[in-house]
Amino acid sequence: MTDPVNGAWPYLYVHQSRTHEPSPYEYKLAATLEQVFTQEGHELADVVRGLNARQVHAADGAPWTEESFRAEMNRLGA
Amino acid sequence: MTLSTSATADHIYAHGLRNQWHAVVPSRFVAPGGMRKVTALGEQWLLFRRSDGTLAMLADRCPHRGAPLSLGKHLGDRVACWYHGVEVETDGTVSSVPGLPGCNLEGKKLVTSLPVREVSGAVLAWFGDEEHPEPGELTLPDPLTDPEVDAFLCYAEWNVPWRFAMENLLDPMHGAFLHHESHTMFEGDTTAKFRIRETDRGYFFEKTDQRGVNFDWVELCRTGADWVDLSIPYPPSAGPGGPFGIVGMACPVDEGRTGVFFWRYRRVEGWQRDSWRFLYKTLIEQRHWDVLEQDRVMLEAMPADADQHENLYQHDLGVVRLRRLYRTAAEAQSA
Ligand code: FES
Ligand SMILES: [Fe+2]
Repeated sequence: MTDPVNGAWPYLYVHQSRTHEPSPYEYKLAATLEQVFTQEGHELADVVRGLNARQVHAADGAPWTEESFRAEMNRLGA
Repeated sequence: MTLSTSATADHIYAHGLRNQWHAVVPSRFVAPGGMRKVTALGEQWLLFRRSDGTLAMLADRCPHRGAPLSLGKHLGDRVACWYHGVEVETDGTVSSVPGLPGCNLEGKKLVTSLPVREVSGAVLAWFGDEEHPEPGELTLPDPLTDPEVDAFLCYAEWNVPWRFAMENLLDPMHGAFLHHESHTMFEGDTTAKFRIRETDRGYFFEKTDQRGVNFDWVELCRTGADWVDLSIPYPPSAGPGGPFGIVGMACPVDEGRTGVFFWRYRRVEGWQRDSWRFLYKTLIEQRHWDVLEQDRVMLEAMPADADQHENLYQHDLGVVRLRRLYRTAAEAQSA
């Protein structure tokens, strides 16, 4: 990502937290996660069940476990 | 020189208060070994970072004949003016006059250098006037120092007077109208009663009959720097962790321009923190931005004399209080 930090006024730049443009996998996971939080709840077990029920799996295609979901969020949210 | 004590109260009110800390730009705007020209409080400054990360802020004015040092050369631990090569150290001392070695400028501290600190991704500087060059005490916003709180900084540059940007934050009722079409402020009453509650660091301006629904309260904090704290609920889609908060600061650039700093923060840890951060980067940051743009569009469209021909009502007490406070401070700082 090129960050337009060149001193030109005004600096109006939406994405200041990103290190890269999210991949299609990341977009899909994020959108589904929002749906799951809305429809299933906020507990980790709800989230894992909700994602798997929607067939939105990890990048390697494996169904989520609490451990793999934690690890992936840690990677993507760092 | 800079920030003279003979400025009028009107000038100070228009260009920003002295003798306090202000956020200037995000830290990442000055790379290691880099320089950046900035305008703040109506004056030109140079931010200058050594390769080890140490940051310095100098008046952007060569002590020889006034050329901007920001056009000069970064020499590692000092900057050389492009015009005749005079070299200035990070504390403002002239270290060398290459054209006339031994010249009596050498060894003199002739350039104003402002004390700087870096806080949660932003450069803060002490803008003391001639009588107050030593930095005053700074108590950092507690949400930015609490290890159980996670924050993202959003910085933006608006063509508005700094006072309008601050007044907008002391006007919570606009949330239910200006931001009605938004991901966070679509709920809550469109009528309210407000009160001012004094604290030992500023004051709360808050609704008496609703909390935790919209932008229902704001605290102005004057702790060496001026900042606001407020909280807004997230919809369930944002996951566990409850509302998000904002720590806001404004850099008075000049009389018509402001740099705004918003730290969006949330009390989250572990996987909850990570999933909020993931969603923030992927989807939520854009929505926060859209809300901020509503503020920018409205404030940039306000006439410059908006605050001189008003008909205020009870919801504007927080703004009135803020103006009186800033006006009084500007009077006190003028000659
Ligand atoms: S003006 Fe800078 S060296 Fe002469
Ligand atoms: Fe707003």
